[in-house]
Amino acid sequence: MGLVTRKNLFAIMGLCAMVGLLLLPIVMALPSPAIGEEAPAADAEKKEGDKVEKGRDVYYKTEGIVMGAPAPKTVDGPRDYPRYNFESRVLLWFANQQHLYYGSFVLAVPIFCMIIEFMGVVTKDKALAKRYDQLAYDFIKISLTAYSLTAVLGGILIFTFLTLYPAFFGYLSGIFRPVMHIYALMFVAESGTLYIYYYGWDKMKEGFLKWIHLSMSVVLNIIGTLLMFLANSWIGFMMSPAGVDEQGRFLGNIWHVIHTALWNPLNLHRILGNMAFGGGVVAAYAAYKFLASKTDEDRAHYDWMGYIAMALGVAFLIPLPFAGYWLMREVYAYRQQMGITLMGGLLAWLFIIQATMIGILFLSTNYYLWQAMGRMRGAEKYQRYIKYLVFLLACGYMVFITPHTMVMTPAELKAMGGQQHPVLGNYGVMSAKNGGINVIITTTVLSFVWYMRGNKVSTVSWAKFGNIFMGVFFACAYINIIGLAVYGYYIPANVRVGLSVPQVATTLSCLFFMFALNGVMMKGAKQMGPIEWGKISARSQYALIMLATAFTWMMGLMGYIRSSVRLFWHVNEIMRDNSPWAYTHTVGFAANMISFNVLFFWVSILFVFWLGSLAAKKAPVEAKAGVPGAVPQPAASH
Amino acid sequence: MSALNNPVVAVIVSLIVAVGYFAMVDHYLMDMQGLDFWYL
Repeated sequence: MGLVTRKNLFAIMGLCAMVGLLLLPIVMALPSPAIGEEAPAADAEKKEGDKVEKGRDVYYKTEGIVMGAPAPKTVDGPRDYPRYNFESRVLLWFANQQHLYYGSFVLAVPIFCMIIEFMGVVTKDKALAKRYDQLAYDFIKISLTAYSLTAVLGGILIFTFLTLYPAFFGYLSGIFRPVMHIYALMFVAESGTLYIYYYGWDKMKEGFLKWIHLSMSVVLNIIGTLLMFLANSWIGFMMSPAGVDEQGRFLGNIWHVIHTALWNPLNLHRILGNMAFGGGVVAAYAAYKFLASKTDEDRAHYDWMGYIAMALGVAFLIPLPFAGYWLMREVYAYRQQMGITLMGGLLAWLFIIQATMIGILFLSTNYYLWQAMGRMRGAEKYQRYIKYLVFLLACGYMVFITPHTMVMTPAELKAMGGQQHPVLGNYGVMSAKNGGINVIITTTVLSFVWYMRGNKVSTVSWAKFGNIFMGVFFACAYINIIGLAVYGYYIPANVRVGLSVPQVATTLSCLFFMFALNGVMMKGAKQMGPIEWGKISARSQYALIMLATAFTWMMGLMGYIRSSVRLFWHVNEIMRDNSPWAYTHTVGFAANMISFNVLFFWVSILFVFWLGSLAAKKAPVEAKAGVPGAVPQPAASH
Repeated sequence: MSALNNPVVAVIVSLIVAVGYFAMVDHYLMDMQGLDFWYL
């Protein structure tokens, strides 16, 4: 008893140390304005006759005392743009993209761990709780090597910046000077917390200590999220600068610099994107292990792991297009021209590729769910309806990827009498595309509902009404989504743009209400048979790998689009890019570069997985009990 | 509850609820943006 109390005491001290680490950067930052910024300003005001120069914030339009140097006017040469015999921008692109892939992976995995560990703690079923705990441990184990690699890639990225773009990096780090060390300290806090969380797993697996351990995962994720928010503020500043005057001089309010017009939309979009990406990568890992498994037991475990990772990833993938839509609306609100460049000009065809990839993501998800119904008895009743879902998905997909304009020669433009194609000009508009993607997402929700009730028969007295209500609700939702898409053609643009909100609300209504209704109907339902984990086609696992690869490619594509929309600016309208590489690449070159980045990431992460498997082989394996294939067993103990 | 399990009654009740709900969603979510859903 005394030992447990002492253990508890140590655990609480550990948690306090973590919270202290979390608060450390904030405490360290507090004296900074007093010593570094406000004191000179106050001194300057005291001195009679000294002139205090004021500037006007380019975004917030407030006045502030100039506290920094103007943005450097760079010239093409070895001083501002030193180089190897290679395009500097491509080297930076590679370093940045790899760091971002790994960074988003190691930020997403601890969030998964937190969710899964919490599910394990609150689950009444002891065996299931143990499996959840093992799964969370497996997840964090995968991310640990990736975490070191993220730090290494971050170092490579900084050296690339310093070596190839010294003037730009000097300016940006000068603007963000008050928070640059906070970022570094947060990184220390993140590392410390992660190692205590990982190595303390076995010591803290019972009772109160388990809750302390779970709290550590919350602290870990708060630090990770804040880290990402800070990194997002740099790209937000580059796209939509604030807190500086028109010459790029810092005006003393670091919050204005961080909180730019696009910061919050980027934050939301990146959190959801990281989660979907992390889910995809872990699902692909599980699929690879499933395909390589020699025993039914291992197949059962990795099938279950792949399903959980996929379900979590898709849970964040579903709201992702809506967050993207909000980001684009904010881009249009900030600079209409920037929005037009993205979606109706120079980069529009990249958005068609993006739509294609989004469609592939949802098609792969649905295909996996239909295949997954094969592992439960009783789900055969849905098989004959799947062709109708395929039809809905295909229709939504075709509408979603239809372009609005074509790439044309001047002669073709002249013959046509303008940019607008007489037939195609009527299609590919946002009203129709919103309808297309919402039909796809609603169909995915329907597939999920079918999967969740695959091997069950509802026993509630109103089951017949419930089933009919669900069918009618989905039918009305489809009619409303498609009706709004068609209605958009008949009303002016300023009214049409608002229709996206009820369309999204319709899809989300299906998601929340139908999941809730299904949950109530399936409470105490009659089971047709257990879910036979591991009894699933190999094709389904390739769908998971496809899902992860498509997501990786899309992340690379969208990063390129977001970055290249600044055109010839390092910092939009503040600091011009005068390097020889200020032009925008062709779509073909960009696509090849993205493919190279994706290939490099997957080869390197397979190496990380292989390293992880070496460690697993050394771990002692407990005697495994249970019927092979009936229920998933932990693959290895820890 | 048994009356609700009658397919005809169930479809009619479901239609009234679903159509009413989506009409409200369309109207109020446009109204919140200062737009008129019934413009046309």
